Amino acid sequence: MTPTLTQYLVISLLQIVVVMGFVMTLVPLLTFAERKVIGYVQVRLGATRVAGGLWGAQRGRTHQSRTFTGGLNGFMWWLGRWPVISIFRGLPMFIADALKLLTKEDIVPIEADKAVFVLSPALAMVAAFTVFAAIGFAPGALFYFPAKFPYLGGLPFYGFLTDLNVGLLFILGVASVGVYGIVLGAWASNSKYPLLGGLRSAAQIVSYEVPLTLSLLVPVVLTGSLNFNEMSTRMATDIPVNGLVGIGRTLLMFVGFFVYTTCGFAETNRTPFDLAEAENELVAGFHTEYSGMKFSFFFLSEYASMITVSALASAFFLGGHYLLPFGLQPTWNHFFQNSPSAFLAWTCTPSILWFLLKIFFLLFVFLWVRATVPRYRYDQLMDVGWKFLIPYTLVMFVIAALLRYAA
Amino acid sequence: MFKTEEMEINLGPQHPSTHGVLRVKLHLDGETITRCTPMIGYLHRGVEKICENKTFFQGQVWTDRTDYVASVSNNLGWAEGVEKLFGITVPRRAHYIRTMLTELNRITSHLLWLGTHALDIGAMTVFLYAFREREEILSIFEAFCGARLTTTAFRIGGLREDLPPGLEKLVRAFQARFLDCIDEYETLLTENRIWKKRTIGVALLNAEDAIALGVTGPVLRAAGSNYDIRKAFPYASYAEMDFEVATQTAADTYARYLVRLEEMRQAHRIINQCLDGLPEGPVMAKLPKVLKSEVNEVYHAIEAPKGELGYYFVGEKGGQNPYRMHIRAPSFINLQALSKMVVGRLLADVIAAIGTLDVVLGEVDR
Amino acid sequence: MASPRYSLLRTLIPFDIYGGMKLTGKYFGKVLRQANRGLKRTHVVVEYPEVPTTLMPRFRGRLQMIKDEQGEVKCVCCMACEKICPTQVITIEKGKKEGRKTPFPIRYDFEMERCIFCEFCVESCGFDSIILNHQFELATYNREDFSHAMEGGFQNMFDPTPVSHYSVSSED
Ligand code: SF4
Ligand code: SF4
Repeated sequence: MTPTLTQYLVISLLQIVVVMGFVMTLVPLLTFAERKVIGYVQVRLGATRVAGGLWGAQRGRTHQSRTFTGGLNGFMWWLGRWPVISIFRGLPMFIADALKLLTKEDIVPIEADKAVFVLSPALAMVAAFTVFAAIGFAPGALFYFPAKFPYLGGLPFYGFLTDLNVGLLFILGVASVGVYGIVLGAWASNSKYPLLGGLRSAAQIVSYEVPLTLSLLVPVVLTGSLNFNEMSTRMATDIPVNGLVGIGRTLLMFVGFFVYTTCGFAETNRTPFDLAEAENELVAGFHTEYSGMKFSFFFLSEYASMITVSALASAFFLGGHYLLPFGLQPTWNHFFQNSPSAFLAWTCTPSILWFLLKIFFLLFVFLWVRATVPRYRYDQLMDVGWKFLIPYTLVMFVIAALLRYAA
Repeated sequence: MFKTEEMEINLGPQHPSTHGVLRVKLHLDGETITRCTPMIGYLHRGVEKICENKTFFQGQVWTDRTDYVASVSNNLGWAEGVEKLFGITVPRRAHYIRTMLTELNRITSHLLWLGTHALDIGAMTVFLYAFREREEILSIFEAFCGARLTTTAFRIGGLREDLPPGLEKLVRAFQARFLDCIDEYETLLTENRIWKKRTIGVALLNAEDAIALGVTGPVLRAAGSNYDIRKAFPYASYAEMDFEVATQTAADTYARYLVRLEEMRQAHRIINQCLDGLPEGPVMAKLPKVLKSEVNEVYHAIEAPKGELGYYFVGEKGGQNPYRMHIRAPSFINLQALSKMVVGRLLADVIAAIGTLDVVLGEVDR
Repeated sequence: MASPRYSLLRTLIPFDIYGGMKLTGKYFGKVLRQANRGLKRTHVVVEYPEVPTTLMPRFRGRLQMIKDEQGEVKCVCCMACEKICPTQVITIEKGKKEGRKTPFPIRYDFEMERCIFCEFCVESCGFDSIILNHQFELATYNREDFSHAMEGGFQNMFDPTPVSHYSVSSED
């Protein structure tokens, strides 16, 4: 049943709301997760309360009587008694964070280039969020509207916005616009520390785009597709893991995954490559002069691009909508496709669940790495990019081509 | 048509990694440093002048506030300097306890250095792990003298009170797990490729330059010299202790990191010896009611965590105050090496160099 | 230090970073399981102010005067504490009180804002008439709140300082 144009538009709008809503809630949640994960790694608790309480902030209570400020904090204190639930103490923090950023004074330095200064956070944000248009979160339709549903009855509702057959190209193209936001913002601030940060960032992103793309070419060459859904389907069905070629493919994907993640860290300005905003060297790097909403735009775009990088990694290396990564799924399917257990048979089918789980795991790895490793120096970063990663990825690319030829 | 010019940039006095109110004026060519001038004095309180107007007894509280992360060491320098001026002999038990606390203090100072230095280079977690152990030692100080940071731990002639009951247990509990903790920091840093890249060959200062500039402490020992006042001119009860002076020859940031880690291990050894061999007896010498000095001058140096900490006293006839008092502050003198270390290198190396010198601005400015 | 034979392998495969990740991952797992207020916990957080902190018996807090069993002020105005105090924050005025043989401090002012909690005063007092109590939550919004005096004054020397989040004087 093909939808009419208006039906199609309505459904598209709904899809946009759902996907963007998902991303927009994931990003603040990610900031909360960052507090918690890094806190736990560092043997402390992270956020457990909100300053003053969101309601019922009380006056004049003393420390000696050991009471709490606000009912919300009292509730969170009570949560702290239970083993697992206590992890979610401090969850209102992400609302408080957003409120704080929204209500802060928005300062534009007198000497700044006003138009560019205002424009560049928007540029970064738009680039980071447009990318989600091409990411296929779900395989096929998420659900069908029930037949009785007014106007839209019987139509499918997809878990993605578009199913571009050049999805990867689109994503890489749009995401690389984001660096203009950083560079222009840094330049427009007319200040020294942002300038240094912006220059670092420009050089870094330009040089890491190359190995990033090259490493993504490995699965592309192996499967012959640029499309999210097709990629994971082919990986799950086309590539049999038997013989030397199959094993070679799996190994190559495995190594490629790590190389890709490394480049992804650099692309998103995360530790160990967070030179552009290295707070111990450049105060806050390119966004030193930004405050309030404009700052939060940069902030959100960084986290959004983390989600993009994780989504790409899980689609292209970790098997996308299927359970097993690195092209191991066909073997699994071979054994369990017709198994009597309904659960095992289900693990052979594509599902949005696997995709999201992989994204969450990778996001966790982002935070985990941030808590563990030091930061590279500017020239060393360039060394790693040009002298290590690019040769590495080129070799991988050649091997991938040979494997493709052999198959 | 186009011209390039050097950029002048102020690192500090409000900057996340200048460890206080240090201001470093840098001239940058791209990101390369062409000139570096440390500017100090933002925390100047005139401690030396104040101490000249306080009695020998009172003056000790100001030494807490020079190098505020190693206040026990400073107290020891002050107390021993004054004892030397008056020729007071301190009981052996007091010496042992002083040695133990000073070594614990060396560990806290090095832990703070390790944490902040690693944080400057971007490894966040070591900071919190180091503070976890530092916290424990600070509780030991609190149990001994009632304060965690501004300790005023010793008195002229010995100690105010003997060890409180239960303190030995606290120290032993700390000792039992501390070596494992050092291994944890090493797991995160020593072999880490990024840490090695950021520290090996960075901020070089060879032994001749170091000696010419008067640099002492771990920075000098990492350049191959084994000058350690604990061995060279033993004070307190270091003559009775069995320990080694940690040295390295590479003279770079990584070597200083290894030296300080080894010093923590040696401090651990010394503390164990102090606990095991703690003699019985009084902890306070017999003193006259009022200390009145003769015309006399004394320089007493100890090996503070940051280098040679010297106290210079001049007494006048019948004076209750020092006529002149001067502190040879290791941070102040080590800071001179900064420009030598960083010229021609990158901006990020300045941060590593400030960290590796381990300056405390309270002591630089006094 | 491993042998140089594997150095290429070690460059290509980041074992060193793996070791660090293992350690931090271990702590993450441990704290995740014990993030509640259980008896067994890995984290080192004290959830102050809800959980009171434990202080060592020798903790040096605010200067406080004490009275003997008869409710009589123990201080006999020997002025030792005033003299020893490095920051000169104690001011004593000697006086007489009926039915008391020893001198009585008619004025004993203590300006806490400049006190450095060194305990020299307590050490010098031969009559055990002052102590440093275990109070450390001493911040207020008003400078006057730091001035302590004998009974009848704004803050008195005999009781612990009342602790407040907001200024005492702006309390309605
Ligand atoms: S504690 Fe020290 S500064 Fe405070 S009143 Fe007593 S002697 Fe003076
Ligand atoms: S030293 Fe003791 S007795 Fe003497 S004036 Fe001070 S508080 Fe009173």
